[in-house]
Amino acid sequence: MKAIQCISISKAYRHYEVLKEISLEILSGECYALFGPNGAGKTTLLRILATVHRPTAGQFIMAGYDGVRDKIRVREAIFLIAHGSYLYDDLNAVENIRFALGLRGKNPSDRDIKLALDRVGIGAFSELKARYFSAGMKKRLSIAKSILIRPGILLMDEPYASLDEKGQQMVNNYLRELTESGSTIFMTTHDRARTSEVTHRVGVLTQGSLREIPAQHLKESHDIF
Amino acid sequence: MIFFKVIRWIVWKDLLSELRSRENISSMFFFALIIILIFSLSLSMDQQMAREMIPGILWIAFSFTGIIGLGKSFLVETQNDCMENLLMAPIPKGAVYLGKLLGNFLFMLVVEIIIFPLFVIFFNLDIFGQIPMIMLICFLGTLGLSAMGTLLSAMTVQIKAREVMFPLMLLPLVVPVIIGAVEATAGALNGDPLKLYQQWLQLLAVFDLVFLIVSYWLFEFILED
Repeated sequence: MKAIQCISISKAYRHYEVLKEISLEILSGECYALFGPNGAGKTTLLRILATVHRPTAGQFIMAGYDGVRDKIRVREAIFLIAHGSYLYDDLNAVENIRFALGLRGKNPSDRDIKLALDRVGIGAFSELKARYFSAGMKKRLSIAKSILIRPGILLMDEPYASLDEKGQQMVNNYLRELTESGSTIFMTTHDRARTSEVTHRVGVLTQGSLREIPAQHLKESHDIF
Repeated sequence: MIFFKVIRWIVWKDLLSELRSRENISSMFFFALIIILIFSLSLSMDQQMAREMIPGILWIAFSFTGIIGLGKSFLVETQNDCMENLLMAPIPKGAVYLGKLLGNFLFMLVVEIIIFPLFVIFFNLDIFGQIPMIMLICFLGTLGLSAMGTLLSAMTVQIKAREVMFPLMLLPLVVPVIIGAVEATAGALNGDPLKLYQQWLQLLAVFDLVFLIVSYWLFEFILED
């Protein structure tokens, strides 16, 4: 089953065309990693799939729903872990999780929240206000939210950024578990080594155009750009 | 129903954040206190003169303290890209508007409840019998201010000159509400029969309704685009 389908997506900011007729199909249970130099349009594509931006032309279908017309259905199916942590500085970790899940109509038990926080390695900081969290802790908290939401499609912008070695391993363990349970992952990244451990497919975005390369190339010394 | 749960979560989050930081309430309170002190020290009034001037002074204090609080309402959503999280939540955006509106309305009412007795003391007013009617006028006036203020706060939050733009946009729009509130308060303070000033209450109620409907409808476009 197709989880993500892009049909000739283009995006332009004024006269600058960031994405040029991108077509892509990703199946359920697949992990797709998108590489590309800075400014190639990786985050733009990710944010279109997350329904934050609208494509200038083309169509995209997420979990069977049109990304422009059925935004609420798409948003129910996806979860985005982006550079912004979406945390309120004056709320603690548990409160931030409760609010984020509350917006999705979920009300997890204290035990489930604790388990998720323990799993991402910040269980000891559950009562700490988010303003005191480091970038790595904020990323871990975002992953804890994702664990509790269990999205059908997980979108991640540089999932390994700000994380230490253990954190990166934790992310990969979680991603493996997600794909094995049938969820789909779309990530933008620069980390070839870490990504090669989990990804099934690799795309390279250069100057707004997408091409796919064998995932094996990540482990070799090819210049993928 | 998820719609009402979302409203509850947003009010909960805003109240908890404010309880922790006390940024809005304290600045609103001190601003209102300064207005009372300036007017009470600079104008020496007898009861009759006070009853003529107090409604205007009262609503200057309420409106401008409201502007301080409303202007900052969406500022909290800009930290860590939280606005984007609200955008991507699979919920009707009208629920976000009503949640923010309810929070703002409560903050303004709390400040008014603290400030009003100070008015009575500083201006030596004898208004015991008129308190229920003044409470109704405050309710209607504050609802109108916060209904339009919440919408404009969301519109201007990304603008660099928002601190100038927000009051410049809000004040002309809420002039009918302020005039209605001042006239109705004057009638109530003078102990006039209700039929002499009920048209001002009706004006307030109509503008509240119009502001609520228009703002609720426009909010989705503002958040999405």
